[in-house]
Amino acid sequence: MSNDQEASVSNIELAADYKGTLGGAVLRHTIIFFVIMFIWEMANRTGFSNPLLLPRPTDIVASIWKIYVTQGNVWYHLWVTFKEAMVGCFIGCVIGIGLAVAAVLSDTFRQFLKPYIIIVEATPRIALGPIFVTWFGFGMSSKVALAALVCFFAPFVNTITGLLGVEEESYELFRSLGATRRQVFWKLMIPTALPTMNAGLKLAVGSAFGGALVAEFISAQAGMGILMARYTMSLNMPSAFAGLLSITLYGFILFRIMEIIDKRVLYWLSDDLMAKKSVKKETKIRGELGL
Amino acid sequence: MSDIGSDGVLAGVKELSPIQKLAMHGLVFLIIFGGWEVGARLGYVNELILPAPTSIAYRLYEMFFVTGSIYWHYIITMYEATMGFIIGVSIGMGLAITAAISPVFRRYWAPYAVVFNVTPGIAVTPFIIAWFGFGWSSKIALAALVCFFPPFINTLTGLLHIDKDATELFRSLGSTKKQFFWKCQIPSALPIIIAGLKLAMTGALIGTIVAQFFSASEGVGILMQRFAFRLNMDGSFAALIVMSLMGLSLFTLMEYMDYKVLYWRRHSRMEEVGSKRKRKWLAENGDFSA
Repeated sequence: MSNDQEASVSNIELAADYKGTLGGAVLRHTIIFFVIMFIWEMANRTGFSNPLLLPRPTDIVASIWKIYVTQGNVWYHLWVTFKEAMVGCFIGCVIGIGLAVAAVLSDTFRQFLKPYIIIVEATPRIALGPIFVTWFGFGMSSKVALAALVCFFAPFVNTITGLLGVEEESYELFRSLGATRRQVFWKLMIPTALPTMNAGLKLAVGSAFGGALVAEFISAQAGMGILMARYTMSLNMPSAFAGLLSITLYGFILFRIMEIIDKRVLYWLSDDLMAKKSVKKETKIRGELGL
Repeated sequence: MSDIGSDGVLAGVKELSPIQKLAMHGLVFLIIFGGWEVGARLGYVNELILPAPTSIAYRLYEMFFVTGSIYWHYIITMYEATMGFIIGVSIGMGLAITAAISPVFRRYWAPYAVVFNVTPGIAVTPFIIAWFGFGWSSKIALAALVCFFPPFINTLTGLLHIDKDATELFRSLGSTKKQFFWKCQIPSALPIIIAGLKLAMTGALIGTIVAQFFSASEGVGILMQRFAFRLNMDGSFAALIVMSLMGLSLFTLMEYMDYKVLYWRRHSRMEEVGSKRKRKWLAENGDFSA
């Protein structure tokens, strides 16, 4: 167990090779999607599959309309879960990155932290759910705590890996130019670590949602988790599916936002942004020098 | 979604002798737990929030040796997690191999893979319970669902990211498609596949436990929840430690597999396997040097 891990998100390279135009590809995908949905719907209507278990696509669409527009009750629950997950994610990331930076800066701290990290890694952290509900009560704080606990690990490990992954040669260059410790940290270690750190943050956002949902399953008054649990318990499966689809949708949006941030922050990894940025800096320097 | 590279980041920098190290770690451990114990005994820490370490230890002892109530829950949880792991990994790797071999399948599967990626698997818990009931099968299904994605994406990434030079070498030596798959793609993908399996193992355990929280009559997860809701905190901490033990044992198992299978990544193992193969070859073909 001496090896440590680095968790990272690799982009899905599934859609690499399209033949023909993008429009054609979208059209083909759409046709396949509708064929699948049609078969599903037909299987349901002819009684091959039980609508109680797998509701019809049309029913699901009707339920989406119902919970978003006619009843409009989903907005409140979405907001609750979103708030819990985001606050938890923020706390978890701050703790994770803080611990990681402390561990990188102090060898002694790292040494003593190591066995506890192995234990924390091996424990299914989500299992603390019932204990947290007992500690923090049935309200928002227990969900925030579980989300923070579940998501702190990926940023922690990735920050350590990134910060320690500095090349020996660059470090020597910094040293030979007489950089202070602080300069080495901010100008060398942090920029080197940023891609890995961002990958960790991406993972953290996803797992924070998972943590908040599980805490809600255990006990809650509001939130997507308890909403879906109530719907399935009353066998109102179309509405439950509508809830699940909303979670997927918001997960997707968050994921895209994280990717965009990733691209913006790591501008030196993409040629376009790098060119734009350097032009901007050049004009700024020219302006300052009065050229 | 996640691939894991490993390098000994947390390895200590200062060279201490193992005994010294052990003594230091032991001391820190004792200080932390001694402080906690004293705090709990003197009433600075609420027993309902953080029970004293000794009472947790006593509860563990009781569970394992006096009443022996834990074994049944332990076996059930491990069984559910392992079955879920096997099913999830087979599905994930099967899909990944299909996607790696057939670009058409890859193209049409892509949007659904994205959907799977962004939906937290444990969000599906209520559905799984409704579909599979309150028994074992729902836990196995959730474990499989939660753990299927890392092996899928890691296998796919590993199989598709083959060194260009290696590909060309295999082609110029006239290898068949089958040979290329088994002798080039699989070995070069193995490290990342095993990293995916490690993630999946934890995922399977998490899936099982969450499904048990949601509704179950037996298993460590429900045991812990019952203890916590009865404010029997030392019991629920003991259950938590049991879960840690499960996680640790599964983790160690995966590490052992890593050690056995990826022999070429460690120098000592490489020599071991190399000399074994040499002996075997010499026995089969005769020693030419003699």
